[in-house]
Formats: sequence, C-alpha cells, structure tokens
Amino acid sequence: MKALERDEERAERRLVHRAFERLTGRDGTPLQYALMEDTPVGVLGLAAGPAGLRRLEYIRGEDDFLLRLLEEFPDRPLERSAALDAVRRELDRYFAGSRFTFETRVDLSDVTPFQQRVLRETAKVPAGKVTTYTDVATRAGRPHAARAAGNALHDNPIAIIVPCHRVLRGDGSLGGYAGGLPAKEWLLKHEGAILL
Amino acid sequence: MTAQRRAMASDTLALLLAKHGLELARHLRRLVRDDEVAADLLQDTFLRAHGALRGLRPGSNERAWLYRIATNSALNHLRDRAREAAALARHASAVEVAAPAWLDGDQPGGGAHETDPRHTAVWARVAELPERQRVALTLRVSGECDYEEIARRMGGTEAAARANVHQAVQRLRKEFR
Repeated sequence: MKALERDEERAERRLVHRAFERLTGRDGTPLQYALMEDTPVGVLGLAAGPAGLRRLEYIRGEDDFLLRLLEEFPDRPLERSAALDAVRRELDRYFAGSRFTFETRVDLSDVTPFQQRVLRETAKVPAGKVTTYTDVATRAGRPHAARAAGNALHDNPIAIIVPCHRVLRGDGSLGGYAGGLPAKEWLLKHEGAILL
Repeated sequence: MTAQRRAMASDTLALLLAKHGLELARHLRRLVRDDEVAADLLQDTFLRAHGALRGLRPGSNERAWLYRIATNSALNHLRDRAREAAALARHASAVEVAAPAWLDGDQPGGGAHETDPRHTAVWARVAELPERQRVALTLRVSGECDYEEIARRMGGTEAAARANVHQAVQRLRKEFR
C-alpha cells in the first residue's frame, strides 16, 4: 500500500517538475518548503534541499516567502512537502518547551565561510545561555569583527535552530533580530535565559 | 517583453505551480488516467490560468479557479478522445484498505482533500470505473462540484449526475466495506 502511494506521489511530482521546466525554465533539484502558521513568534517559512534545511525564516505569508525563494533560487522548482514534517515536529517540541535541541541537518552553503563559522559557533551556545557578538566573532577567528559577526547573525538563514537570538550586545542589551525584538525576547524568556 | 517582466511572469507561474501543482496533478491524473495527457493538461492549465490572471478578482479563490480550468481541460479532452483502451487496471483489486470518509456518508463531497495513503487503493479502483461514473465521482469528491455543476460540465441532467455518483459509490462501498 505504501509503495502504491509512493508511486502515485512520485508520478504527481514528476508532472509538476515537468511543468516547472517547460513553463518557467526551472530544471534544478526541487526545493521543498513548508509553513508553520501559528507559532508564538509568528509565521515561519521552511525550505530544504537534499543536503538539509536551508531556510527557517520569519515571513509575512506564503506568497511573500515563495517569491523570496524564487528569487534566491532561480533554477529550482519549489514544492510543498511533507518531508519537512520532522523539522516541524522538532519546532513544535521546542515551542512547547519540552525539548530545546534539534537533530535536523542544516545546510549553510548559502553564506560565506566566515559567516558559516560564526553560525556554527553560535549553534554551540545552549538554550538558557547567552553570549555576545564579540565573543562569537572571537571564536570564529576574527576578534575585531564583532560588526561582521552581527551581520552574519542578522542574515542567519536558519533562525531558532541556529540560535542567533542567544547573541546579545556587550552591554547586555538585546541588539537586533530579524524576527523583531519581541520575538527575540520571547525566545530568550522561553529558554529561561532572561527574567523580564 | 523585457527581461524583468519576463522574470516576473515566470515567477507568477512558478508561484502558482508551487502552491497548487501537486494537487492539480493528482486531480488531472484521476480524471484522465494517462500521465502523458495529464502532463500536457497540467501545463495547459497553468498557462491558461496565468494568461487569464487579470480575470481573477482579488480575494477570489485561486485554487478553486485552477480546479475549474483543469476540470474543463480534462473534460474537453475526454470528450474528444475516442473511447480509450482501458489501461491501468494495476494494483487496486488485491488491496484491502480503510475507505475515505466520503465512502461512508450518503453524500460524497466537500472537504475531501484526503491525504491518507490508504485512500490510494480506493482511487486506483475509481480509475477503473466506467468513464461517466469515474468523472462524475471525481468532480464530486475532489472537484467539490455540486450535481448541477457536474451535469453542466458533463452535459446531462442533474439526475443523471446524481445517479452516476450514486452508482460509483455503491460499487466502491461493496468492494471496500
């Protein structure tokens, strides 16, 4: 039964990929996407390729997210996919507070090597702890590049799972956040890192 | 057309395909039972939809509108085609499964965008029904048409549409209950 279902779905996907190729010239590996509409921090958009999760973004809505993906991945068909259900379950557990760690594989190939180092160092900061822009810059090998580290964090393609919200300014103020400061504050409170 | 306008046009198409492509591919495959034909109809549907995009009133239902275009294309195709050699009697018969909800109710239709994999066997059996039953049932269940609309599209009376759906459901019920 499962096999039949898979055959049917594969055939459906094939038709859609052909339509993408013929009508839009997009003939690359399809990028899969999903939405999470009702999280405590707003609407999230997810996108993944074969090598892992490439986007976890704060979005205004489906069209807005898709148009951005179409621009950033000019040769890829996009398809809504249940393959992202595993990540969504991890995020549900995170928001419920039952588990703050993620097993999902992330693909950071869209950012520069320095930015990747910043993001990997950031990913080592556990829930409930915070660090500073200078600290992650130092750990990424460029102690004087706090501002560049801040930019890397601002452009973090995988919010929450790569926890850029755990990085604050040296004076203890929140700094910035792509999802808005209320979201950053919510996440930090939720993780027990700040008591406001 | 400038490169930028072309890019925008293809983005609009890509957007529609990303959101509704899979669902419409499923709908068309169920209606015509032939991947090559379904592939053509799918492309045709999105091209037409895109060409008529300005005809879509803001706030109207994009998805329902695409379904309508796809259904019309498929029915035209079926009407033109000589009675096709029955293919694709694959799978189904040997499979015992739970039935979709619409198989239980008296009135199939409405909200039946089932994703339960077990329904695949039922749909595989639907594919083997006589053409008028198959088309009427598919319109009712996944096209969400009422009987009046089914009658209009298939050419016939509302009573005939009702009878076709009824017979299809009776037959499936016998096999899957």
